[in-house]
Amino acid sequence: MRAMTALLQDIRYALRQLRNSPGFTITAVLTLALGIGANTAIFTVLDQVLLRNLPVPHPDQLVMLRFTGLDDGSLHTHGGDNNDYFSFPMYRDLRDKGGVFTGLLATDSTDVGVGWHNETSFAPGELVSGNYFDVLGIKPAIGRLFVAADDVQPDANPVVVLSFAYWQQRFGADPSIVNQQVSINGHPFTVLGVTPPAFHSVVMGTSPAVFAPMTMKALIKPGTNDLLDRRSKWLNIIGRLRPGLGAMQAQAQIDTVWHGIRAEELKDFHHVSPRFREGFLDRSHLLLLDGGHGFSPLRDQVKIPLLIVMGMVLLVGLMACANVSSLLLVRAAGRVREMSIRYALGAGRAQVLRQLITEGLLLGLTGGALGVLLSPPIASFLFRHMEDSPGSTPFSSHADLRILVFNFGTAILVSLLFSLAPAFQFWRPDVVPALKDQASTLASGSLRLRRLTVGVQIGLSILLMVGAGLFVRTILKLKNVDVGFSTDHLVACSVRATLAGYDLKQTPELYRSIVARLSALPGVRSVAATSDAELANNNTGYNITVAGYQAREGEDTDVESEQVSPDYFKTMRMTLLAGRDIADSDGPATGKVAVVNEMMARRYFGDPARAVGRFYGNGGGNVPVDIQIVGVVRDAKHTGLREGILPTVFRPYTQQTPPGSMVFYVRTWQSPEDALNGIRQAIRRLDSRIVVDSLRTMDDQVDEALQTERMVALLAISFSALATLLAAIGLYGVLAYSTAQRTREIGIRVALGASRLSVISMVLSEVTWLAGISIAIALPLAMALTHFLKAQLFGVSTNDPLTMFVATTLAALVAMTAALLPAARAAKADPMTALRYE
Amino acid sequence: MIKLKDVERSYKTGAVQTWVLRRVNLTIREGEFITIMGPSGAGKSTLLNVLALLDDQWAGEYWFRDQPLHTMARKQRAEVAKANIGMVFQSYHLLDDLTVAENIDLPLSYKNISRSERQAMVADTLDRFQIVGKKDLYPSQLSGGQQQLVGIARAVIHKPLLLLADEPTGNLHSTQARDIMELFRSLNQQGATIVQVTHSDANAAYGDRVIEVRDGWVVKDTKPEPATSQVITQ
Repeated sequence: MRAMTALLQDIRYALRQLRNSPGFTITAVLTLALGIGANTAIFTVLDQVLLRNLPVPHPDQLVMLRFTGLDDGSLHTHGGDNNDYFSFPMYRDLRDKGGVFTGLLATDSTDVGVGWHNETSFAPGELVSGNYFDVLGIKPAIGRLFVAADDVQPDANPVVVLSFAYWQQRFGADPSIVNQQVSINGHPFTVLGVTPPAFHSVVMGTSPAVFAPMTMKALIKPGTNDLLDRRSKWLNIIGRLRPGLGAMQAQAQIDTVWHGIRAEELKDFHHVSPRFREGFLDRSHLLLLDGGHGFSPLRDQVKIPLLIVMGMVLLVGLMACANVSSLLLVRAAGRVREMSIRYALGAGRAQVLRQLITEGLLLGLTGGALGVLLSPPIASFLFRHMEDSPGSTPFSSHADLRILVFNFGTAILVSLLFSLAPAFQFWRPDVVPALKDQASTLASGSLRLRRLTVGVQIGLSILLMVGAGLFVRTILKLKNVDVGFSTDHLVACSVRATLAGYDLKQTPELYRSIVARLSALPGVRSVAATSDAELANNNTGYNITVAGYQAREGEDTDVESEQVSPDYFKTMRMTLLAGRDIADSDGPATGKVAVVNEMMARRYFGDPARAVGRFYGNGGGNVPVDIQIVGVVRDAKHTGLREGILPTVFRPYTQQTPPGSMVFYVRTWQSPEDALNGIRQAIRRLDSRIVVDSLRTMDDQVDEALQTERMVALLAISFSALATLLAAIGLYGVLAYSTAQRTREIGIRVALGASRLSVISMVLSEVTWLAGISIAIALPLAMALTHFLKAQLFGVSTNDPLTMFVATTLAALVAMTAALLPAARAAKADPMTALRYE
Repeated sequence: MIKLKDVERSYKTGAVQTWVLRRVNLTIREGEFITIMGPSGAGKSTLLNVLALLDDQWAGEYWFRDQPLHTMARKQRAEVAKANIGMVFQSYHLLDDLTVAENIDLPLSYKNISRSERQAMVADTLDRFQIVGKKDLYPSQLSGGQQQLVGIARAVIHKPLLLLADEPTGNLHSTQARDIMELFRSLNQQGATIVQVTHSDANAAYGDRVIEVRDGWVVKDTKPEPATSQVITQ
């Protein structure tokens, strides 16, 4: 009871103290709010993207499957490691013979066209095995979810399950939707039920609208007919281990089954060398990785950038802490007498300490509460930069219990940290002189401590500025990459014909019509199309056999393949080095032709000119070598700005299985932005069922490709600016305080003949020392730490001299600017003031 | 050497103007040892600060060796002060973080004098004031009298024509005070013009002229009374 009364008294006194110094209180609370808020925001993102388990029972029992060893065959991925992908027969064998699992689910992501009441729109979908919800332990919100029996016969059971959010948004949460039919890619599917609101997908970071059985793949992903193809890998597998079985133990047990599956697969190969056999079979193992967080290509993509940003924001938090420490020390200077009186009246150290910590906690918790308000906009900004399209991720920027615990935990920790400095100051007070002299200033120890905190802040701000500088330089380098074609006056859009109900046989005519319609638009110079968008992080490839070229054993003969329309190179402005462009005359009835890139020509023929007229065939072994190379184009970037160039073949889309979707490129005379609306309307007029997707200028696409880099750079700039501002405030505080303490000294110096300039240089020399020492320590540290950023940089070294120079110069300039006001004030010091003590 | 003509100084506090010096007319000849006396708040220290050119908010005419300081800019006045005036304070005003030698060197460091020349001058001064043994000590390691000795050494190192002292023995024991006053007499005999502010008649007796200030007015300008007692501290 007595302790509670004392605590309440401490709180009352602390509140009064803070109210009496509004300037100090506002500065300290705002500094803490920024520091804690930024940390909370980044933790909100980190928690949801990296740390959280799937919202399913016993997530610790879930494992994600990956295999090691050589591989061959076709691969369709959407992120993650290539060895995370399996074929449907492999999944079926593992599911049926696995033994160590209580269940094994398969999943694949794809977009679908969902029609309802004559209105069709794209929606993210997930192809799942029938036992998907059972294995995860998910119960329906309404209706029922899939069971194993829903997913047995290919193309036999057109049913879907809706996600809770999509059910609400598209169907107004109407429960009668269950057992009704919706159109999926133009085919009727019956709605079985709706998933619960908390569950989104086993693929973390995605928010599919509809789930369909895997055996319906042919309708959900038109143009693919590889469900039973053992060598076509496209799905991911998550398993639930039997209770009590560890991942390592299960891995050992399942190795025999895996070996059998691989041996079965090896039978499909015609010519197998002993070395390939060893790599494919003997050195191949199935790995059971932690699956509690689900499968997530997004996580792989943003993990390192997020950890870097978290590191940066922790530094900012540390600086906020150092800054408030520094402010408290200034305040402590005015409280020597108060504390001395407290000691003189019998207060123990613990009581004085308790009082100081109470004040610190009040500040910290108020800052933390404000930080909770600041955090959602920052987190929301980050999530927006991770999404392909608005709402495509399930992340929430709102603070939940975990976030609140983190936030207030941080606030309390920070409060204790910054309360230490004044507590240390009053630990051994010299009571008698303090009372006798009625001193109002602290000993030089306080100033040393403040100088140290400011030095640390300058150093930390240099670290952050170096990081920000490297990211900015990376973006500039990426933006200036020569992609091999002209991105200006170029508009791209995607048309997914099969999702609008088109049969594959009908698509070539549709694509020809679209090209004709778009070419007729005013201001359009030329139009072309490709099956594989440029700089969109997509790859489609296979291995080839080149006539007259003897591949070494194990040599990678994969090529990147694009199916393109006539005039593709003319429209893209890719330079033809030899031969000709794809022409209208290259149709299904004429000889198979291809244009290859320079890299492919040089690799197989030594020279672009020698490649024209030569032949190659798709696949390895005894395949027909019947595709004639008719042209060679200059190398161009395809996958992305960072990725290297691969040997590439461009084939007329009319000479292969027609693609279910195409990306059209429109080269304009005028501003490409003016053409956007015309393009959309022209395609709509052709067929209103067709949804034009990803309509944007190529320059915008390049910009979007840099969104992760831009997000990191923007945050790094913001954090370093905030850090520099905090350092400047801290430095200003120290100098204002130290010059005020030196009033007498400065007065004496002026009385003895010191000029204003010499006083200014005296104050600035303090800053020069402080900044110099900070720079001397921070620069080598920055050079060591930037090593961790290496994978995120492009075209710039981790020790880039320009970045280091700019960061240190900026830090020095800011330090000098922060010092100017106290220096000028000191220069105006009136010697009479110093002498008036007499 | 110095001629003040109708010098006035006032402070403004809100709408109220407080006069601390009123129409001061004063002539100081070279080699004089002048004492300014008067009750507390009379304006003695203000007059001394005006003479030291530390205060530049006064009105009137100030001639220094026929130079009209009242027409000069603040910077020019500061140059005149730096070259010609030395100042001794009641509280010594030594810088705590500097050694005795460094404190003495301080006025020279603000002049365009080479380092070796400065070192020679500091060594001479230390020798002259017989404090060579204390050159590396800090002020806190000295007695009050020793600190004032250093203060005077610092004031005279650049051989000023005019030495101003504001209650130089105010914080000293009587024996130490007498030593300091003897030092002033000796400096005066060597040619320095000295103006001191004091409450002590005994100290005033070391000089050859007493100026009495009351309520900002110079009310008396006389020869000092002969000393009848020991020098006392104020």
